[in-house]
Amino acid sequence: MDGSTTVIVRIGGILDISKEVLSMWGIMAFVLIVAFICTRRLREKPGFLQSLIETGLEGLDGLFSGILGSEASRYYSYLASLFVFIIFSNYAGLLPGAGEWYSVPTSKLSVTAALALTTFIMTFFVGFRKHGLKYLKHYIKPFFIMLPFVIIDEIVRPMSLALRLYGNIFGEETVMDQLYELLPIGAPVIMMALSLLFCAIQAVVFLMLTCVYFSEASEELS
Amino acid sequence: MDTNAIIALAAALSIVGSTVGPGFAQGKAAAAAMEAIARQPEAAGNIRSAMLIAMALMEALTIYGLLIAFMLVSRIG
Repeated sequence: MDGSTTVIVRIGGILDISKEVLSMWGIMAFVLIVAFICTRRLREKPGFLQSLIETGLEGLDGLFSGILGSEASRYYSYLASLFVFIIFSNYAGLLPGAGEWYSVPTSKLSVTAALALTTFIMTFFVGFRKHGLKYLKHYIKPFFIMLPFVIIDEIVRPMSLALRLYGNIFGEETVMDQLYELLPIGAPVIMMALSLLFCAIQAVVFLMLTCVYFSEASEELS
Repeated sequence: MDTNAIIALAAALSIVGSTVGPGFAQGKAAAAAMEAIARQPEAAGNIRSAMLIAMALMEALTIYGLLIAFMLVSRIG
């Protein structure tokens, strides 16, 4: 797979600052600056920027609480920051110079694997927080024989989460590159228009599956 | 037939195989969801989110095939 990364700075021989890390920092800085500008003057009667950001966050809340119910507000900050990061990373691929001057973070397997692993760990956190040590009982429900299947299911979940996001975004980038080779002016526009839709859908799907896993972890053990 | 030709064929077969099945399945899921929306338009939101999750799970199979194809193509040379 595409494991080649460009190391720009190497700290202490272990920590590599690569193109992806720098792009992620850029996206984080962009999100932080936008959030700072939009929430600088919070008012009872919101201005344009404040109402823009409020509409977006309320839409996200509706998406999460549609699946998680009343639990959604407890994990809202984690889910919303994950969504904002993924969707901005995906849309970064539409800017000129993607892959050349900077790389799209979610088109690298290491980034999506890290995102999926945080969800994997958070699922255990949700389960133990709700049920305590009794959460371990769901491994042997309804019969003890289910244990290996449940463990395989738990391991496959983050793998498929990571591979789905990585495969979609990497595939889109590759198709865009090929179309650019074919006909530099005009051809990539078709794929870009489709990308506008697909990037949002991939972010929504990642978060929906995360919500489904959380709601499974927090549902009542019978 | 040299090794490169075999690898190219294998890549083509992996993407073909992993596209046809999920393609049919997604068509079936979309048809059922649209029927449900037409019958009960007020439940459109719930149906749409359930359909998206089901679609994503099917899409994952295609993506596995696509990744295998990319891996194989990168070994041609």
